[in-house]
Amino acid sequence: MAIDKKYIGKQWPTMVYEVGKEKVKEFAKAIKSTSPYFIDDEFAAQSKYKTIVAPPTFAVVFGAKLIEPIFFDNELNLNLAMLVHGEQEFEFYNVVKSGDVLYSDAKIVNIENKEKLDVIAIEIMTRNQEKKDVCKGIYTFVVRK
Amino acid sequence: MKTMDSHKTISVGDSFKVNQEVDKYRAIYYAGASGDFNPIHIDPEFGKMVGLGGAILQGLCTLGFTADAITTWVSDPGRLKKLKCRFASPVRMGDTLTIEGTVSEVQQSRAKLTVTVKNQDGIEVLTKVQAEIEI
Repeated sequence: MAIDKKYIGKQWPTMVYEVGKEKVKEFAKAIKSTSPYFIDDEFAAQSKYKTIVAPPTFAVVFGAKLIEPIFFDNELNLNLAMLVHGEQEFEFYNVVKSGDVLYSDAKIVNIENKEKLDVIAIEIMTRNQEKKDVCKGIYTFVVRK
Repeated sequence: MKTMDSHKTISVGDSFKVNQEVDKYRAIYYAGASGDFNPIHIDPEFGKMVGLGGAILQGLCTLGFTADAITTWVSDPGRLKKLKCRFASPVRMGDTLTIEGTVSEVQQSRAKLTVTVKNQDGIEVLTKVQAEIEI
């Protein structure tokens, strides 16, 4: 069944995520990064950021906390077996530092019904504890019919 | 300890090239770090069952490699301002990816990069890549 376009604009409650230094290092290792900004405490302390910062695409770690409830949303009723990640877009405003508390909001920004597939785009906007914008992610998923 | 951060200057035509080997366990590492434990990434049998011919790497891991190639090149994770792509073709364990970028345009405060990410057969695994960095 096609995804109903009336759900464009649907929002989810704000998700809070506290950034842990060791989690950042683990993520950096997973993407095989050797950047000292992410993994070297001594370097990070002397850098302009003064602490370990997260790789840009660490945004998916806190983003996933919002994507999951959307995937299992009863109203949307997405067919996960037929869902693939089609496109991804990020805009980065301020780096994520270890110790930051991040507040993310998700909303559906687009739904398209095509002959053989549906497209659903979810925007996740994240701000930090200083109320500064951190990043915007647009996750576009394709659901084959 | 590595040297302190320094600001790399950017001009049109500047470029980088990075090879990234996707080892046998990469999708499992990425699943643990990102939380994406979809069985299509970590279970080759499941991947075959759903017609993918085996396990495929999380697209966001490939995008993570790409972002890291850019921020390592400019020596500052805060200078990547925009990154966009289409996940065009699956990446498999054992693949070797080549990530290449060239500065195509420099504006007042931003530089646009032309970025390609190909596998060992020359197939573009990410397409329509858009990347912008702070200059």
